[in-house]
Parts: sequence; structure tokens; C-alpha cells
Amino acid sequence: MADKKEKTIEKKKLGVKDFITVGIFTAIIFVVEFACGMLGYIHPYIVASYVVMIPLVGAVPMMLFYTKVEKFGMITIMSVLIAIIMFVTGMGYLGAPLIILAGVIADLIARSGGYKSFKKTVLSNGVFNLWICANYFPVIITADSYRKDLIDAGYSAEYCDSLFAFVNYKTIAVLFIACFACGCLGALIGKAAVKKHFEKAGIV
Amino acid sequence: MNIRLDPRTKLYMILVVSAVVMMSATTPLLWAVRIIITLVPILLLIAEKRYASAFRFFALYITALVLTFCFLSEESTGIIKSLLTGYCGIIAQFLPAMITAWYVIRTTKIDEFVSAMQKMHIPDGLTISLAVVMRFFPTIKEEYQSIRDAMKMRGITLGGGSIVKMIEYRMIPLLFSCVSIGDELSAAAITKGLGGKVKRTSVAVLRLSAADIILLSGFTAAAAVFVIFKYFI
Repeated sequence: MADKKEKTIEKKKLGVKDFITVGIFTAIIFVVEFACGMLGYIHPYIVASYVVMIPLVGAVPMMLFYTKVEKFGMITIMSVLIAIIMFVTGMGYLGAPLIILAGVIADLIARSGGYKSFKKTVLSNGVFNLWICANYFPVIITADSYRKDLIDAGYSAEYCDSLFAFVNYKTIAVLFIACFACGCLGALIGKAAVKKHFEKAGIV
Repeated sequence: MNIRLDPRTKLYMILVVSAVVMMSATTPLLWAVRIIITLVPILLLIAEKRYASAFRFFALYITALVLTFCFLSEESTGIIKSLLTGYCGIIAQFLPAMITAWYVIRTTKIDEFVSAMQKMHIPDGLTISLAVVMRFFPTIKEEYQSIRDAMKMRGITLGGGSIVKMIEYRMIPLLFSCVSIGDELSAAAITKGLGGKVKRTSVAVLRLSAADIILLSGFTAAAAVFVIFKYFI
């Protein structure tokens, strides 16, 4: 049984078209993340609200992406790409394991539904969105030195204090749950948007 | 002046710059290292005759640095100062990496990039996806601008004040055009023989030139100085 399953998966190897799809959607997701990230510099409370904003706004491209995923690996590659881009744009490497782990688990969940089951897709999107929490990793793991770093880098103490009031090892669980919930909620909204615009137009 | 750098050098530059940017600069020497490695991509942009963007980046970076050093400190409070802190912080922190990334994206041809990645034995899947991401940022910007123009022409500015509509009006057309561009891209990629079983050959011959070696060693030295002076002295 398992052997047979493996064979069918091997048959479905990823092609160039899949890689290109992954690339395009990663770029779009990153633009969404970047746009929301810019807002975070206005006030630290907005940094905490990434977990709400990014899943909801990013849901539409994500759900469109899920309609194009048919093989194992696409979501995983996307998470690796996000980890690379996060590193290149100076967000650090601490979050990379979490990002990739979230990607692999999301991929596995979606695969268990054959990439067609809507329930599994919602769940998978929720898990995938946990990568956003990787943004907070430097804040939590290295709290003290990170605070010093920020102040040295020219941030005001006020900014740091409100940032750490909202993001610390006590609230990270809440942030994780909020992230997951918004990911699932976003999936529903995204599905509706995809249905409204893309299925009618016959693109999906 | 025309410097053609190897894509591998460029990738190494990105790696060093983003690593250095991640560690905070605390002493004047560390700031000096940081500023020097920021100036290198700006000079390279000038060498590529991209004067406008080089000047823009330079002005932005210098303004942010001057503001950070002269006016802002740990004690700054108040709304204007905290806004300024935010903006200067983001610029001083992320601009070096962004300038380098911008330089690399703008000056690396995709075929050079792909063949460099192939030489470094990176799996095809990652290479192709990364190449698409690289190529796609400018495309998204262009598409977004034309969407905005089209909306302006029809007199839709902010989507009637509703945030959901604001996002919907921009996101949906953007996704439509991205999906169709993606289809064209895959057709083009298959024509170029990407993803085939045979190893591809490349017209672009990659060789490390003198400029590459100078930059590689220069950046290595900068990173070494930064780490040594930050953590060991």
C-alpha cells in the first residue's frame, strides 16, 4: 500500500510550470508581507497585528495558489523561498526552521486531503501562516540583547518598551493561535474571493 | 567604466551585507564598516550608469544616518519623534541590504543567474523559483502602477473608503495579470529547455575576474572585521 502510494507520488514530479507558479506566488506573498511590515514601523502595536493582517490580506493569493497545487513539494519550496528572502532582507535566520517546518506540515496536511479537500486546505493555510510568527523570533529568543540592539540602532526606548509589552514569551502562544485562526479565517475569505472573481472568469 | 561581476560574487555580497546588517553596530568603527559596505553597491550602481537610483539611495541613507545620529536617541518620545525613529530605523537597518538586492536584481541577467546556481549545484526547483521571484518584483511594480493608472482614469481613488474594497480593487487585477504572465513565463522557460533531464549548457560563460576577486576578499575582510571587533574586542 505504502509502496504503491510512493510510486504514484514519484510519478507526479514537479515540473517547470510548478516551480514558476511557486515563484510568482512567493513574490506576491512577500509583497503583501512587506507592505504590512512597513506599517509596523509606525507603531509597535501594528507589529503584533501582523498575525491578523498578513493572513487576511495574503489569503486571496494563497487560496489561488492552493488551487494550482497538485503535487507534494510546492508549499515546501515556497516556505524555503520565504526563509531565504527573509534572510536577504535582514530579518535574521532564527525564524528559518519555523518557516520551513510550517511549510512542510502545511504541505503534508494538504496532501492528506489530496490537495482538493477544502477543509484540509483551510487547515493547511492556517498552519502555513504560522511562518509569520518567525518575524517575532528575534524579539522573543534574544529579548534583552535585541532590545539593546534596537536602541543602538536608533529606536527610541518608548518604541522598544511597547514592542516588548506586546511581544514576549508569554504572549507568543496567543500570537501563534491568532495566526492560525486568522489563517483559517483568511482561507474562507480567500476562497470566497477566488470563487467570486477567478472561477467566474474561468482562470482556475 | 564597465564592471561585469559574476553572479556568485553578487550573491556573496548579499549574504555578507544582510549578515552584517543583522548584527547591530555599536562603535564608530562598526558603523564605518557598515557604511563602507553600503557604499560599495552604490558605487557599483554608478558604474552601471544608474545614476538616478544610486543618488536616491545615497541621499536616503545619508539623511537617515544624520537624523539618527544628531537628533534621535534613547530618550526621544512624542509622536513625531517616534515616527521619525521608525522611519530612520527602517532605512538605516534595511536599506543596505535593499540596495544590494536592488543592484543584484537589476544587473543580473536571468541566464547568468541560472548558470551560476547550476555551477553551485543548487537543485533546479529552487533555482527556477528563485529566478522567477527575482524577475517578478519589478513586474509586480509595473503591473501595480498600470492598475493604479487605470483606477485613476476611472476616478476610483481609495475604493470608497472601505479597506476591504481598497485591497480587493488592487489585489484581484494584480493576481489576474500575474497568473497570465506566469503562463507565458512557463511557455518561455520550456522553450529554453528548463526542467529537462539533460544538463543545460549556457551561452553566458562565468569566470571570476579581478574585480570579482577584489570584491570577494574585500567583503570577507569587512565581515571579519565586523565580527571580530563586535564580539572579541
